[in-house]
Amino acid sequence: MRAPQSLKQEFLKKWMVGLQLCESTNQNMSILERKKAIKLSADIAMASTRNGMTCWSRALVAKTSTDFGNKVLVDNILLASQSEKLKNKRTIIRRKKILRKSHRARKARGGRVVARSLAKEMVKKRTQVLKSLVPGGEFMDDVSLIEETLDYIVSLRAQVDVMRTLAKATELMNGK
Amino acid sequence: MDMSTVLEKQQARLKWLQHSCMMTNPNDYSLQSDSMPHLHGFFDNGDNVHLERQPETFLGSSDFSIGGSGLVANDKMGLVRTDVAAHSTEIYYCLSRTSSCQVGIELGEAARMEEDVALMEGTQSDNQRDSSNKRKAEYFAAEEFKGQVEVQSKVKEKTSTEISADSCKKNHKTSEVRKPDYIHVRARRGQATDSHSLAERARREKISKKMKCLQELVPGCNKITGRAGLLDEIINYIQSLQRQVEFLSMKLAAFAPRQELNADNFSGKEYLASFPTATISPGVINMSQPEHNLVQEEAGANNPTEAAPERTASSSGFIHELCLDSSCFSQVQPFWKPDSQDLHNMGFHKG
Repeated sequence: MRAPQSLKQEFLKKWMVGLQLCESTNQNMSILERKKAIKLSADIAMASTRNGMTCWSRALVAKTSTDFGNKVLVDNILLASQSEKLKNKRTIIRRKKILRKSHRARKARGGRVVARSLAKEMVKKRTQVLKSLVPGGEFMDDVSLIEETLDYIVSLRAQVDVMRTLAKATELMNGK
Repeated sequence: MDMSTVLEKQQARLKWLQHSCMMTNPNDYSLQSDSMPHLHGFFDNGDNVHLERQPETFLGSSDFSIGGSGLVANDKMGLVRTDVAAHSTEIYYCLSRTSSCQVGIELGEAARMEEDVALMEGTQSDNQRDSSNKRKAEYFAAEEFKGQVEVQSKVKEKTSTEISADSCKKNHKTSEVRKPDYIHVRARRGQATDSHSLAERARREKISKKMKCLQELVPGCNKITGRAGLLDEIINYIQSLQRQVEFLSMKLAAFAPRQELNADNFSGKEYLASFPTATISPGVINMSQPEHNLVQEEAGANNPTEAAPERTASSSGFIHELCLDSSCFSQVQPFWKPDSQDLHNMGFHKG
């Protein structure tokens, strides 16, 4: 994993490109539109820092580009930020799926069964929620879901940090 | 009752096996290979590798009878047996799984083994003895695989003198040979050892390792045990991060129209200079009331989740700014003052 410092800088660079594109394409937006554009460009920039090596970033790009209005923007951002990288990087990590056979229902004794099944149920429920949170998580198995979650959290953190710093800076400017 | 019937069944099976072994001529390979499928029908585990390996074992045993030198044959057998024993453990697990009481069966098996050994010692030739040895080795392997180093087996070794000593050596040999394969995936007592279970166990270990990484990554997760709680914490963290992104983008959107960024003020921060500042439309400044409320709500929702005091100060300052804009809440005092020191501290150099 790279240092968070470089990750942040890369993200910021890409985000700026995206924001400039947003501004240039649409001159006068309402605040909600503006917010949407900022968030979209931030998301895309975050995803593009991974160069399509992780599932979640690919899923994020795919999800945002399904919306027709966004598609142009997404393409623009991706093209502008890393056109040369996209050409080169076509290696996608494919994970071996462990072929899981349906295991036989094992018999256990007494109250243990209830507790175990309860715990399993809880974990399953939370895994479902996690899958809905991580972009593209619906199509992952457990192992890759956790790996992707790790990566996703790291980049989300970087994103939040950069955005917060920027917000603070602008705020300071306006405060004066 | 249940246990005894299973025991009887097993005994019948093994006696039949023994019988078939006696019937077959060690030098007649074709006859052996014919009889082998029946044997495997009894074992009832459809394992092809086992089936293929079996003739080799007997080939080895015939070598043993011809050559007459025990050591050479033992070496050969040891090689084959590593494979055979690995599969035979499955058989024993199949048997023990059907039973209600595992230990009882094993005791019974041990007793039966003793009988078998005693019987064979008296009557049989080298080949049969070898086959019994093989079975014994299998049994030992099964025992060891479960991680049960039992006193009982030691006692058994003592009682059946020559053969058990011989097989014990072999057994140790096989276990030594096989050990490297299972160092990373250990099977404890009562755990299955077929390839699927091993793969499943490896997968689970991988998940738990990653979970530990996540635990370190997510703050305030160190004390939590149990996967459900951990997942809860992770979900909360991701949600809060996503909400923060949402909120910050809103904030930036609110600020963007009014900002007049000056590159000179931010020396050494080239990224701020690149922030799009040119497009300032004065119409956007007059924000509509519902939007303003929305921003306020969002800010209010985010405030409690934030632990850092500077963060709350900045967001309340943000609210304050908005309030001044819409001139609704003029009574709010400007308690947060921008500091140039702050500006220098907040860069990425903080980490």
